[in-house]
Amino acid sequence: MDSGLRTQCVPQYRLLTGSQIREIHRTSLEVLETIGVRVAHEEGARLLEGAGCRAKEGDVFQIPNWLVEEAIGSAPSRITIYSQEGEEAMRLGGRNIHFGLGTDLVTAYDLNTGEMRDSELRDVSNAARVADYCEDIDFVASMALPHDVPTNMMYVECVKAQLENSTKPVFFTAAGREDLSVILELAAAVSGGEKALAERPFLIHYSEPTAPLRHSRGALSKLFLCAERGIPICYTPGDMLGASTPITLAGGVVQANAEALSGIVLHQLKSKGAPIITGFALGPLDMKTGIFAYGAPEFRLTNSAFADLYHYYDLPIWSTVGTDAHALDEQAAMEHAIATLMAALDGSNLIHDAGYLGQGLLSNPATIVMSDEIISFVKRLLRGFEMDRERLAVDAIRRVGPGGDFLSDDHTYEHFRREQWQPKLLNRDDPDTWLSKGGKRYEEVLTDKTLEILATHEPRPLPRSVQDRLDEIVHRAEAELADLHFEA
Amino acid sequence: MSDVLARMAEAVIEGHVEVMEELTQEALDEGLTAKEILDQGLMPGMDHVGVEFKAGNMFVPEVLRSAKAMKESMKIVQPLLTSADIESKGRILIGTVKGDLHDIGKNLVGMMCEGAGFDVKDLGTDVDSDVFLGEIKSWEPHLIGMSALLTTTMRAMGDTVKALEEAGLRDRVKVMVGGAPVTQRFADEIGADGYAANAAAAADLARALIGRA
Repeated sequence: MDSGLRTQCVPQYRLLTGSQIREIHRTSLEVLETIGVRVAHEEGARLLEGAGCRAKEGDVFQIPNWLVEEAIGSAPSRITIYSQEGEEAMRLGGRNIHFGLGTDLVTAYDLNTGEMRDSELRDVSNAARVADYCEDIDFVASMALPHDVPTNMMYVECVKAQLENSTKPVFFTAAGREDLSVILELAAAVSGGEKALAERPFLIHYSEPTAPLRHSRGALSKLFLCAERGIPICYTPGDMLGASTPITLAGGVVQANAEALSGIVLHQLKSKGAPIITGFALGPLDMKTGIFAYGAPEFRLTNSAFADLYHYYDLPIWSTVGTDAHALDEQAAMEHAIATLMAALDGSNLIHDAGYLGQGLLSNPATIVMSDEIISFVKRLLRGFEMDRERLAVDAIRRVGPGGDFLSDDHTYEHFRREQWQPKLLNRDDPDTWLSKGGKRYEEVLTDKTLEILATHEPRPLPRSVQDRLDEIVHRAEAELADLHFEA
Repeated sequence: MSDVLARMAEAVIEGHVEVMEELTQEALDEGLTAKEILDQGLMPGMDHVGVEFKAGNMFVPEVLRSAKAMKESMKIVQPLLTSADIESKGRILIGTVKGDLHDIGKNLVGMMCEGAGFDVKDLGTDVDSDVFLGEIKSWEPHLIGMSALLTTTMRAMGDTVKALEEAGLRDRVKVMVGGAPVTQRFADEIGADGYAANAAAAADLARALIGRA
């Protein structure tokens, strides 16, 4: 920004040039038109056929370029997500950045006992409460896959626990159309009805196609239900370079983008203009260990590539941060810091998995508190600094002159709060003070703070009538879903 | 050891798929038996690969290339093995459980187990308990391996173990489980015999559980 009077000096980063973006886009279209995607869903197949796609080998559909372009055109460029109390919370679009939690971690680090154990429902509640407290966490997600509730009720119970422990938007998964319907019922009870929920959605469903190039019946059932109800959906392939896509980053980006774009086509064919958030998680399958490497530099590059692509499409963008470390240690801090900075520079809108540990398998609520601090740091960085006559400060320099000091000058007093970022928990004490306060490492500080939040932070209670309604819905769903087999 | 067997082991380690047919023919022409080729040429090569992989000196694509080289030779050797030779290895039935379509890890386990000399049958993805049960009755595997990537579907492994118990088949097969979200605790909880964190470990586990290859 440079008006001549005042300019904003901000860090700017783009990975791809305009012609590189168009090359990737053209190649993704070539994949869709000449190879196609497998669609294991009758209505999905009908919609594609009706729109002019060619069926090949039964359930593989080749999607013409113009249809993809049309879907990119009809999908909304901006999606507003509200808090559970109906206030505007996130504007997904452009280069707005919003960070939040991730879903479904199987193992939890217990802050009270120091043990790793199976995740439980209380881990969902705790994560939601901690995130509710953290100013720079914009949305909550389950963070845990609770082993202590009936299998078919896991996702329903997770959402209920989040509604009870936070007012922030909820990013959630579901096993199938059936429990997704129950979850939407819970959400409607909080919003004050289905219509109110669709007008001011506070939740985003998270579902995935199956790489390579497949849309499963289960995933499409959920995609279509959200499209019908106007509930925002994040439909984003998770791909592994060298396993479910080519090993080359360029090839991986082309294929993952084809998967993501075909999701937009199906979604928009079902309900034109319905809200969808796109992107892909494309990281390396580590060739030594076989894990999906969250902390890898290649993962940052693919995230940057699709951010540039989806800015070009002008569609809301999803992204991911995280680490491969199994403890809240130096590796976790390093990988989270780099990922958070890069995702913010990418200008991705809905950045999930803040607070994740252990390759997307492990939670520790203190990691959320660390992410909150890193996000705050990164937001300050991205704000850059303003430059105008007042801030160039020649008058102040003249006043103080050679040999003076600025500490007591009015200019310092006027500006220091906005210019200078203050850490929440990072150490800035001198060594003696630090020692006198116990000489704690950052991990200990984070853990103490998290225990304090859990002991003292009280999220707003739900109105009695809403709480009763949630209990009633869950009670009924327990019976309804008990013996159900969700579609693959 | 015959020189050709040493060269075969070396070719397996190096992943020289294109020379395997010729080397195998040369070994047979020298009068070596199929079992000698397998036990003294191919398997020592794959064993070395396994050790190097675990030590972090070889990478997954290299291991798979080695397995492919071994398979190339097995195309010729397999039909020549006597039923007693085959019986000495062990049969492993694998599949991704009901509700799950993710199969890359499971495929890797299959290839590693084949590389370790087991006879592997892959039931694919979204495999119902009944299908596992039917195959256990008809094919009589010594071990079944189940995988899931999704946290939603991993519990289907427990369903299959339960179905095995109900059908009175549990004592006839060992059960191993794996997949990103699976843990040893989970394996214990559902009553599996073992859990492996990766494909190489799965082949080791299979060896430990059925001790045939």
